Amino acid sequence: MSDLSIYKDVLMDHYRNPRNRGDLADAEVVRRGSNPRCGDDIEVGVNFADGRLGRVKFRGRGCSVCLASASMMTEAVTGKSQQDARQLAEAMQVWFTADGEPPTESLQALAAVRGSSARKRCVLLAWEALDDALAAA
Amino acid sequence: MPDVAMKNCPLDVLDVATIVADFPLLARAGDSLHYLDNAATTQKPNVVIDAIGDCYRHHYGPVHRGLYPLAEEASKCYEIARGIVAKFIAAPSEQLIFTRSATESINMVAQGWARSRLRQGDQIWVTRMEHHSNYLPWQALCRETGAQLCIIDLKADGSLDFDGCSSLYGSRTKLIAVTQVSNVLGVINPIKDICARAAEQGIAVVVDGSQSVGHMPVDVAELNCDFLVFSAHKMFGPTGIGALYGKAERLSEMEPLLLGGGMVDDVGECDSSWAPYPAKFEAGSQNLADALGFSAAVNYLETIGMAVVHKHVSDLTQYALNILQRMNGIELYGPRDLCQRGGIVSFNLTDVHPHDVGQVAGERGVAIRAGHHCCQPLMQHLGVAATARASFAPYNSHDDVDALADAILAAQAMFA
Repeated sequence: MSDLSIYKDVLMDHYRNPRNRGDLADAEVVRRGSNPRCGDDIEVGVNFADGRLGRVKFRGRGCSVCLASASMMTEAVTGKSQQDARQLAEAMQVWFTADGEPPTESLQALAAVRGSSARKRCVLLAWEALDDALAAA
Repeated sequence: MPDVAMKNCPLDVLDVATIVADFPLLARAGDSLHYLDNAATTQKPNVVIDAIGDCYRHHYGPVHRGLYPLAEEASKCYEIARGIVAKFIAAPSEQLIFTRSATESINMVAQGWARSRLRQGDQIWVTRMEHHSNYLPWQALCRETGAQLCIIDLKADGSLDFDGCSSLYGSRTKLIAVTQVSNVLGVINPIKDICARAAEQGIAVVVDGSQSVGHMPVDVAELNCDFLVFSAHKMFGPTGIGALYGKAERLSEMEPLLLGGGMVDDVGECDSSWAPYPAKFEAGSQNLADALGFSAAVNYLETIGMAVVHKHVSDLTQYALNILQRMNGIELYGPRDLCQRGGIVSFNLTDVHPHDVGQVAGERGVAIRAGHHCCQPLMQHLGVAATARASFAPYNSHDDVDALADAILAAQAMFA
């Protein structure tokens, strides 16, 4: 229970103070993820540097979980190779579909909403947009 | 004016504790659950659960297919159930067809009755507030036939705005599909007026009664609608069964969608003739247990009294509106005039996504819906992606509304 409340604090911090949220005009690739079921609609933009993800930003609207997950995603993948970032996106899908541990410790707080099937799409939206962007790059 | 028959309404206060005791899930949950998602589906009383169990334990057999006593009993039970559900909406028994759901009922009318009657340039009218189930079948039918889908828009308070609908009752209109009560706004539509005007022009009216039947008195003879559809599970009955009422003439004209056992008179090598309705529309083995559960739900509601049910839910709605409209940072949708609305309250909180409202409420034991409620055209009209929605039933009390208000405050505090 106390873990859960710490996790929620982390999510709320990312929701209130989102990292890397802003304009995507300079991004090399932009991909959109939207979930008309709840109106979540975000875009993820990527710039590459030396074959790695140099800068990852997002913009859009969504519920707290969606925006917090997007914020955490940008931190988790910046600096990674494309292959590693896509593997992480895939590992997120697996983590939210089956039992298991989070792919990296920095994403542990998302465990707070793992039990809620209704929030799965909220969490994964940014990751899917990222994966689309990397597939297109 | 709304078609709610408030005549003879006994004003006794409904004893919520007694009602709750009839619903095992609610009785067991006690104060830990405030179930306010009744527009999605209602909880089930013991009499419904027992009727289904008793069917399989004591009366189960093939319906309209056997000559031995058990089969005769099953057939008799099934037809008694039909009669009870039909009488509930003041329909003749044979004009009440058991279907899987209100959704299936609408699709049956669209494909079995409307399709062969539509020509290029004809019009079908729907409203901006329709549930997707009373929108998509008509949209698809128009695409197939070249007919035009026309939309009755809404006034600021959510009620129907007939001003821009000059051709609504015109010669090109073949059908009007309208909900009696909006599942988002709670608004009660003037069905009787629409049906009266439509009947003068020979236009068929399909009424979605999913949020009205079982929530307020509904009388098809008084409404004079051509078709009325509703689902059992939104009125204390089981899932998987619904109903279609049709005027005798319309049911004679309508073609069955499902062909198979039990719905034919003569089957020849090249040609066959259908059995009279309702059998014509109930191909395959009948859903006896759920029909008995459905009729038990109707009996239960009639024991409380539909006027009492409507009064109680209206009082709760008024109480909720009074509390919610005094709160800061909340937008309420739908008319404020209680005569114009059923027990549904949709709202949004400033800068809090409805999903977050729904989750915070859920963690506090308050079950509300958050989403577009299968009403995307309406959401576009409201300029929102989603709303939060509370909807009331006879087992709800002021305590449930108070818990909702507390949950709203908690959500606002968390996301402020």
